[in-house]
Amino acid sequence: MKILTWKKVIIVSTLLSSLLILVILFSVTVGSVKVRPSRSITILLQSILGLKGGGTETEQAIILSLRFPRALLAGLVGAGLSVSGAIFQALLKNPLADPYILGVSSGAAVGAIVAILMGLSTLSLGLPLASFMGALLTILAVFYFGRQEGKIHPNTLLLAGVIIGSFLSALIMFFISVSQKEELHTIIFWLMGDFSFSNYQTIRIIFPYILLSFLFLYSRARQLNLILSGEENALQLGVNVENLRLISYLSASLLTAASVSVCGLIGFVGLIVPHSVRLIFGPDHRLLIPCSALVGASFLIASDTFARTLLAPIELPVGVITAAFGGPFFIYLLKTRKVVKTL
Amino acid sequence: MKMKPSRFFLILSLFISLWPSLSHSATLKFVDEVGRKVAVPFPPKKIVSLAPNITEVLFRLGLDREIVGVSIHCNFPEKARRKIQVGSYINLDFEKITFLKPDLVIATGTGNTRNMVERLEKLGFPTYVIFPKNFDGILQSIDHLGRVVNREKEAEAIIQEMKRRRQRVIERTLGLPRPKVFLQIGEFPIVTVGKGSFGDNLIDLAGGENIARNEKKMYPRLGKEEILKRSPEVILISSMNPKGDYQRLLQEWSRWKMIPAVRDGRIHMIDSDLIDRPSPRIIDGLEKIAKVLHPEEFKK
Repeated sequence: MKILTWKKVIIVSTLLSSLLILVILFSVTVGSVKVRPSRSITILLQSILGLKGGGTETEQAIILSLRFPRALLAGLVGAGLSVSGAIFQALLKNPLADPYILGVSSGAAVGAIVAILMGLSTLSLGLPLASFMGALLTILAVFYFGRQEGKIHPNTLLLAGVIIGSFLSALIMFFISVSQKEELHTIIFWLMGDFSFSNYQTIRIIFPYILLSFLFLYSRARQLNLILSGEENALQLGVNVENLRLISYLSASLLTAASVSVCGLIGFVGLIVPHSVRLIFGPDHRLLIPCSALVGASFLIASDTFARTLLAPIELPVGVITAAFGGPFFIYLLKTRKVVKTL
Repeated sequence: MKMKPSRFFLILSLFISLWPSLSHSATLKFVDEVGRKVAVPFPPKKIVSLAPNITEVLFRLGLDREIVGVSIHCNFPEKARRKIQVGSYINLDFEKITFLKPDLVIATGTGNTRNMVERLEKLGFPTYVIFPKNFDGILQSIDHLGRVVNREKEAEAIIQEMKRRRQRVIERTLGLPRPKVFLQIGEFPIVTVGKGSFGDNLIDLAGGENIARNEKKMYPRLGKEEILKRSPEVILISSMNPKGDYQRLLQEWSRWKMIPAVRDGRIHMIDSDLIDRPSPRIIDGLEKIAKVLHPEEFKK
């Protein structure tokens, strides 16, 4: 078995980063309005470099206020959900785990729905804030109920998460049943997940959460590797298992909370990307975590770009594309690659 | 001759059982706007309305005591709010309706469900369904309802007035440049009005050009890019959400100064009850839109 070297990590990360940049450029040049690709890229680069000019006011608005923030946000969320999925899969030792398995997303949804029903404007920060609050409360609740003898145990955590998630789903159904026609549309739209209202303000707010959680988790990559070989082994090798579980759970949940509160529930990304990355690059978390982030970002940006251009001017929900393309691609990977025994 | 008590009670009970059919002079058969045959005790004395537009029409036709039940959305006229509520567009309190024992229930194809209407029929309540699809359709529905509730003269008067006012709007806007209009009826997601919707019909009648008029869906969702591309000169915001934050919406639009409507400050809010409800007040909606699209003309 090849040993992972830092050289490999750097090479692969650089390659995937280049892919990500290409995907961002692609996303910025494509849209329902025809803007010459060279013009789009020029506008983007000039803006990043702080230069003025290039393109009409409308074109600048389209590139800089619509497409680029959308790509950035989709990238952040894609990275967040993918890393979160990878961590939950390790934490719960369950290949079916995804960022939503512990009910955090349902909590975020309840927070958002309550905000919508109270008449909070969907354009204000109140909505993602309420959603984030809902997610945080859920994280605390699952953490409280998921402990056994004062320790976090994967199976108990899973049970607590699934049960609390079910309860929250019931709440969601209740709210939907008592809401009026106009609110209903807004609620369903939020639940399906959408990036059409991306703006720099939102990005600035969630970026620290995503970055910090990512760094926390990456610093524990080696330990995450060890924990997969069994609790006993890990303990003997000096891993503070309890501590690690706690940090992983909180960081991964925070990633999910930050992601879902700004764009709703987008499925498949957190499940498929980590598995795909594992199948291609192996299960070592020192490579898995950054690769999941980069691949997840690229995948979600690409999916969102297709979602808004396939049937232009109608915009499809991005969750439709992630499922439609992610599913078959993953099946293809399963068939052609030897499934590495990781979990 | 003193009547034996038992005989008296026999005649009395006979009379009581015959009374309901005696108080109605007839049962008239109608065909409603979705082709269903409806046998209505005529004239209907206890009517339940399942949608706000129907309620408005009934009150305008001069009914009040006859209206025994309305939907929870029925907010106009003021008197309607005090009536007994029997449910929403899709959720009916069948117990309440059974308790009210209406002669006639009126539903609309633009809101109520077929399932609901079938259940009402099964329970034995004659249900008349209207299905107006545009301005002319509304006039037709008023005419049909007028016949069913025995207020044909009043219906005719309303229709004539609406026709007259519509004609005035068409005449005054004839030949004027038709501004490009974006009618926003949803905030999140952004929903507008396409072909076949009331809003589209009204914009056209008011001398404007709906930027979404070629969209095949009745309520299409347009992305911001698309709206930017079509550069509307007037933006109409329908006050769909009563708790909605109009100021917030204005703020959001003000970021896009390259849109002519934003640049020129031609963003207006319109009461959604006037432009999305197929009722007599749709003519008020039409006049308001015309005033906003052609301010110079209507200032005179």
